[in-house]
Amino acid sequence: MSARAWTGMRGIAPVPSYVIMQPTTLCNLDCAYCYLPFRAADQRMPVEVAESVAGTVNGWARLVPRFSVVWHGGEPLAAGRAHLAELMAPFTGVEHHIQTNATLIDDAWCAFLAEREVRVGLSIDGPADLTAQRVNRGGRPAYQQILDGIATLRRHGIPFAALCVVSDPRPGLAARLYAFFLELGCYALGINVEEREGVNTRDTGHAAAAVRAFWAELTAAWRADPRIELREIEWALRYAGAALAGTDDDLLPRHLDPIPVIAQDGRVVLLSPELAGFTDPRYGDFASGRVPDTPLDEIVAAVAARPAGWIAEYLSGVEACRAQCPYFGFCGGAHAANRYFEHGRFDGTQTDHCRNSKISLLEGVLDHARQR
Amino acid sequence: MPDNADRPAGDGGPVVTPSAGLSALLAEAQEVWVARARDADERRLADPAQVPAHAAARPGWRPFEDAFPTFYQFTNRPR
Repeated sequence: MSARAWTGMRGIAPVPSYVIMQPTTLCNLDCAYCYLPFRAADQRMPVEVAESVAGTVNGWARLVPRFSVVWHGGEPLAAGRAHLAELMAPFTGVEHHIQTNATLIDDAWCAFLAEREVRVGLSIDGPADLTAQRVNRGGRPAYQQILDGIATLRRHGIPFAALCVVSDPRPGLAARLYAFFLELGCYALGINVEEREGVNTRDTGHAAAAVRAFWAELTAAWRADPRIELREIEWALRYAGAALAGTDDDLLPRHLDPIPVIAQDGRVVLLSPELAGFTDPRYGDFASGRVPDTPLDEIVAAVAARPAGWIAEYLSGVEACRAQCPYFGFCGGAHAANRYFEHGRFDGTQTDHCRNSKISLLEGVLDHARQR
Repeated sequence: MPDNADRPAGDGGPVVTPSAGLSALLAEAQEVWVARARDADERRLADPAQVPAHAAARPGWRPFEDAFPTFYQFTNRPR
C-alpha cells in the first residue's frame, strides 16, 4: 500500500475512549528525564473538577462496553488515598487505571486498588544501574523503594504492567532488560525511548543502526520467552501481519482519539498530555477549555467540529505525514507533543520520537525476521 | 526543521515485504496470542472472579484497555 492510501486518522472524534486525570502535580521523585514542569508542587485537583468530568464521562461510558479513566501525575498516589477516593467517587461504569512510580505502594494502597479494581501500570527502567535516573527529591536512587512497592503488589496478587524508559537504546541492552522484566513479574511491558519534551531538553538523536539493533534484540528476547505482552514488538508484528494480508489500513482509528487530559486545575488539553502545564506565545496554554466552567463533552465536541489554533496546525501536520511518510500506516503520524517540543510547531513531520520509537522499531523487528 | 532528513531508502514502496523469516515470526506470534487467550479462558473457568470476561474474549491482541494506561504514548488509539 502506498503512503497516500491510508484512510484513518482524519479529524478528531467527538467522543474519546479514555480520559486522563491529573489528581496532583506533585511527584515524590525527581527523575532526570521527567517532562513535568510543576512536579515539586502539591497542587491537588478539586473534587468539583472530578465531579464535572464524571458528569460527562459517565454518559460516554454508557455508550461503549469499556471506558477508561487514567489517573496520571505527577505521582497520583501522592494525592493521598482519601483525596483520590473523593476524586474517583463520582465516576460510574468506568475502569480506573493508575500509572505510578510504585514507591508509595503499601498494604493500605493495595487494599484501595483492589477494592476499586484499579488497573496498575508502574514505571521502572530495569536493573538498579538502568533505573538510576529515577531518584527521590534528595537525589538518592529510588530503586529499592520501587522494588518494595512492587513486592507489596505481588504479595497482594495485584497484576501490573510496566513502563520502562530507555535513554540510550543500543545493542546489548535489550536482552538484559527483558530478562529483568520477566523476573519482575509484570504481565505487560512498554518501552519508552526517552523523548525530548517538556522541561527535558536532552538530546534524543540516536544512531539509527544502534536503535534498530536494540529493537531487533528485544524481538529475539521476546521470541525466546514471550510470557510478557510486549507493547512495541507485538504491535509491530500485528502491523506486519496486517500489511502482508492487505488489511493494514484497518488498524488506525478512523478519527484521532481526542485523549482529553484534565489538568489539576480543570484545564482540558487534548491529544498530548505532555503539553499540559506549558504556555507558548503563539499557542497560549494549549487548553481547549476548562471544567467545570464548561462541560467536558462541550469542550471536546467544539474542537472536533471546528479545530482551531494549534490543533488545526497539528491536523495539517498529520496530513503531511500521511502524504510523505511510508510508515504512516504504522504510527498514524508524529505525536503532537513531539512535534512541538522538537520543532517548535505542530505541522512539521518526522521527529526523533518517530525515528527512535516507530521507524527503527518496525525496521528492527523486520531485521530480526530477516536474520533468521 | 529536520523533516524527513533521515528518511530510509525505499520511500514510497511497501515497508513490509514478505519473507520466510517474517512468516515464521508471525506464525509464532499468532501461536502466542492464541495460547494467551486460551490460558485466560482456563483461568477464568477456574476462578471467574480473578479473570474478567474480556481477558478471554478472543485470541490475539489484548484489549486496548488492558494493555496500558499510557498506551497513548505509543499510538493514538489502536482498533
